[in-house]
Amino acid sequence: MTAQTSQPAAATAGWDIRDIRRVPGIGGFALGCAAAVLILLWVGSDGYKQTLVTSAATYALIALGMYVPYLMAGSLSMAYSAYAGIGGYAVGLISTKTGLPLAVAWLVGPIVAALLAVLLGLVTRRLSGFFLAAVTLLFGMAFTAFLIDAEALSGGSGGLGNLRPLNLFGWTPSHYQVVLGSAVIVCVIAFLLDRLRLSPWGVIVRTMRDAPRAVEAAGVRVPVLNLLALALGAAIAAVGGGLFTYSAGSITPDTFTLNIVFLAIFMPLIGGAGTPWGAVAGAVIAVELTLNFPAIQTSGTLLLALGVLVIMLVAPRGVVGYADKLRTRTWALLRKEPDRG
Amino acid sequence: MTDLQLWLSAVEMGCFFGMLALAYYLIHVGAGFFNFAIGPYAMMGGLCTTWLIITYDLGVWPAAATAVAVTVGLAALTELAIVRPVQKRSGGGELPALVAVAAVLFAIQQLAGYVFGYPTLPGQSLATFDPVTVGEVTVQPSSLLMIVVALLSFALSALWIRSTRTGRLLRAVGDSNRAAALLGLPVNRIRLIAFVLAGFVAALAGILFAPKAGVNSLSGLAWSLSGFLAVVVGGTGSVWAPLFGGMLLGLVEVFLPYYFGGQAHVYGMLLIALLFFALKPKGLFVRTVRA
Repeated sequence: MTAQTSQPAAATAGWDIRDIRRVPGIGGFALGCAAAVLILLWVGSDGYKQTLVTSAATYALIALGMYVPYLMAGSLSMAYSAYAGIGGYAVGLISTKTGLPLAVAWLVGPIVAALLAVLLGLVTRRLSGFFLAAVTLLFGMAFTAFLIDAEALSGGSGGLGNLRPLNLFGWTPSHYQVVLGSAVIVCVIAFLLDRLRLSPWGVIVRTMRDAPRAVEAAGVRVPVLNLLALALGAAIAAVGGGLFTYSAGSITPDTFTLNIVFLAIFMPLIGGAGTPWGAVAGAVIAVELTLNFPAIQTSGTLLLALGVLVIMLVAPRGVVGYADKLRTRTWALLRKEPDRG
Repeated sequence: MTDLQLWLSAVEMGCFFGMLALAYYLIHVGAGFFNFAIGPYAMMGGLCTTWLIITYDLGVWPAAATAVAVTVGLAALTELAIVRPVQKRSGGGELPALVAVAAVLFAIQQLAGYVFGYPTLPGQSLATFDPVTVGEVTVQPSSLLMIVVALLSFALSALWIRSTRTGRLLRAVGDSNRAAALLGLPVNRIRLIAFVLAGFVAALAGILFAPKAGVNSLSGLAWSLSGFLAVVVGGTGSVWAPLFGGMLLGLVEVFLPYYFGGQAHVYGMLLIALLFFALKPKGLFVRTVRA
């Protein structure tokens, strides 16, 4: 929450277009973009590293999708493997079974995922905590079972392959451009979510997490707000799922497992739960540890899991939180002001 | 539903789920929350036993004893190192505890995968007598053991909670940690006892159930969910309630795939969860359901 206090509350009043520094969340956006550019420079034309970037982008989008319901509204829904799967299968199905432009998949997938999230949210509207987590986990499992069963639709356990390339008004992006595009999408969505967090709507949602009765008493309909948060999150995760499927060129029921959902819960803890950028940072770290750790490759996930436990115990603010604290401390020192952080 | 062999299978499954649910129940009564790491504890028990036998050529009993000890240690560690500090800091909020046990669940799975490997290993049978034939039903030694041990652990738990001082303290502490602490009751010790007992019951359940279908490092999550569902369906009103819930789920797990094909039990579980959570939100679980 340090980022919030250090920025002017200009979200309600609109902002002065001439002074870009007063746009809420612009600092995080600039830093995030800078990091993305550095990562893209490091990647270059290395095919494996490019795959890492799309994986990280997918993880980041799933974690960002969970950000609104999980960290802002405080209810842990774990059906995100299904939502990402819907995004992925939208790409797969439109590519193999229809003649529609492939870009339509990124419209249909998120909408279907959001509708399903609303439906699941309606059914589980009275649940929270452990009960919600259990039902949504079971839902994720049932969705995988459904994908394996519905062979006519989803291609069974073999999944869908041989996807055709994207064609935007005659322009077909190269693989590197897709990598670039996924980084841009992550940055834009993280920035928008950061703005959303600081907006009046975001403040209400975050208050709802801590004091649902007060929000309900103030005339805001908590269930509707919850549903909106869930739908938004599902749509973002579906975008990620579509992205991954497109760059991998195929999708199977095992593409998005419950493992990814667990990782997505931990990413904001690693990166810092205070801002959506924490989830992005966590996703990058998670991919780096689980996929790009040649020395002790098999234990990368174990290292991550243990790291999460340690972070939870000794560093609850995560990487971004501490970096932000360091920044405010440094600023305070530079300006010779007493430290308020 | 006339095939008695299937019924036996369902009862065995029910006893397994019931024991997992009992482990949930013990921690729920003692610490007031659901420890989702129960399934991984059971997985640890089963997998560690087999691994010790394969790798170090240990006898079945020493291997099982070691596995139980390891699991009990993990359960104690969960409470001492993770849950207690996290709950202390978050002031009793539910989400931090939930995320903490999710992390524990994930970490135990990864640890087991790293140490024991990822392939499915066969379970080890503790008893080696000939299968007993009752009428037209053949009872495997492992099934008999599962059922007997499950009934025994429920009976002992019921006895323990009702008639010993520690058992009654468990309920006092679980009802309100704060009130119990104000009364000067040993809250931390009682909670630890609940975790250790739950770890013990879960490890036992895992070892006894592993011969049925084998065990791998990822079995734990599904077991966690089944056990949780069993304890919710059964309710926490009585010690025997989790066994009832377990039996119901055992029937679902065995008969749905038999009549409706391989994956039907997954849908069945989801349906039961939705029905119970949505239609009966009051009564059994008032405390954790948002108004």
